[in-house]
Amino acid sequence: MDAQSTATQHTAAGPDFNLLSPDTYVPGVPHEAFRTLRNTAPVSWQKDPESPGFWAITKHADVVTISRDPKTFSSHRRTAMLMELPPDSLAETQLFMINADPPRHTKLRALVNKGFTPRMVARLEPHVRDIANAVIDAVAQKGECDFVTEVAAELPLQVIAEMMGVPLADRRALFSWSNRMIGQDDPEYGTTEDEAKRASLEVYMYANQLAAERRRNPGEDLMSVLLNAEVDGEKLTEMEFDVFFVLLMIAGNETTRNLISGGMLALIDHPEQRARLLKDRSLINTAVDEMLRWVSPVMAFRRTATRDTEIRGQKIREGDKVLMFYPSANRDEEVFPEADRFDVGRTPNDHLAFGIGEHFCLGSNLARLEIRVMFEELLRRLPDIELAGPVARLRSNFINGIKHMPVKFTPKAA
Amino acid sequence: MKIVIDYDRCEGNAVCERVCPEVFQVKEDDRAHLRIENPGPELRAKVEAAVRRCPRQALSLAD
Repeated sequence: MDAQSTATQHTAAGPDFNLLSPDTYVPGVPHEAFRTLRNTAPVSWQKDPESPGFWAITKHADVVTISRDPKTFSSHRRTAMLMELPPDSLAETQLFMINADPPRHTKLRALVNKGFTPRMVARLEPHVRDIANAVIDAVAQKGECDFVTEVAAELPLQVIAEMMGVPLADRRALFSWSNRMIGQDDPEYGTTEDEAKRASLEVYMYANQLAAERRRNPGEDLMSVLLNAEVDGEKLTEMEFDVFFVLLMIAGNETTRNLISGGMLALIDHPEQRARLLKDRSLINTAVDEMLRWVSPVMAFRRTATRDTEIRGQKIREGDKVLMFYPSANRDEEVFPEADRFDVGRTPNDHLAFGIGEHFCLGSNLARLEIRVMFEELLRRLPDIELAGPVARLRSNFINGIKHMPVKFTPKAA
Repeated sequence: MKIVIDYDRCEGNAVCERVCPEVFQVKEDDRAHLRIENPGPELRAKVEAAVRRCPRQALSLAD
């Protein structure tokens, strides 16, 4: 009865923009649609092919309120993922930290938090800079490259592989798994649910091999830490360990890569802003924040209402699906003056690209470091990168991604 | 302006330090600390932004 009555009750919905269809995002984030929703139906009931529907949350303030109230808006009940999960994969997916609520979430996060503190991250800076320069060395003389696969993907991949203790030789495999798991709606990476399943099985097998190796030879890496970690006096199960591996691999990979690609594209599209940044490098930190706001690499997460409640006066029923759209929150005119202007000096910049609340991006400091160092070195060494062909976007309703971006620049010695 | 840090909630994300480095600093213990106990009114807007943006709601203003 629930599905039917819920759907009926929600017919006062706003315009429908097919927000769950991956095709909607292929030409780019539908900012016009989000603006219309913010202005006319900030909390609107939208169609979902797999469920009675969902509430689309498009205002900054509402994303903050929901994110800060995990008791009312659960990440666990139906996970934080956008699509409906069949019963057999629901339980497995709920094991991910990203799909946990307090108090369990707090305990899981404490296990890995130490690896990502500002102090730990600051120590990595010289090394991250070396990697960034090696990445640029590899393309500098050619005068052209695929910016995504040859530049943007490499740095986060190498950094997270090292932090997790994955041998450098296996990082291509990580890249491929990560693409296949996150890009399952994109024909380039995998067309069927079976392929995504196969990718996750391969990753779990790999994680178990790595675990066996680390039990014999413990190191300082995050995986060694997790193998010895205890939650409520118990070690992580094999499955819990595996899903941690997947979460860190994907979160440390896809998001930063797409931010670097999207940030580069923003600089190319706004030559006056690039010139400004080239002239005044002290703007790099505000530029990084503006790239985060502009790109919003993660486009949405889900919550499920645990009780009847209200958002902005709109009644929400227990069990209702609620999706928070970060690219919309990050262009909210009520928070950002001239929200559609890319401004490398923007201050303040209360963007929500890392989320807020209990699930605030664990790797935010690491991501900031990688992005800042990559752009410092790119601006210094390849200041005139331009597009050399069409940008191929990822077909996804979840990640604002670019798969390929052919660029050209004045060749430089490595 | 009196600032209270809830150490049961602070996990050292360092958002406060980035928003208002004049007042906040994440130290060796990976927790936020105050550089100055009673910042003047000229810093109020930045301190309020730090309070607002703390992902864990670990900061509050007592007055």
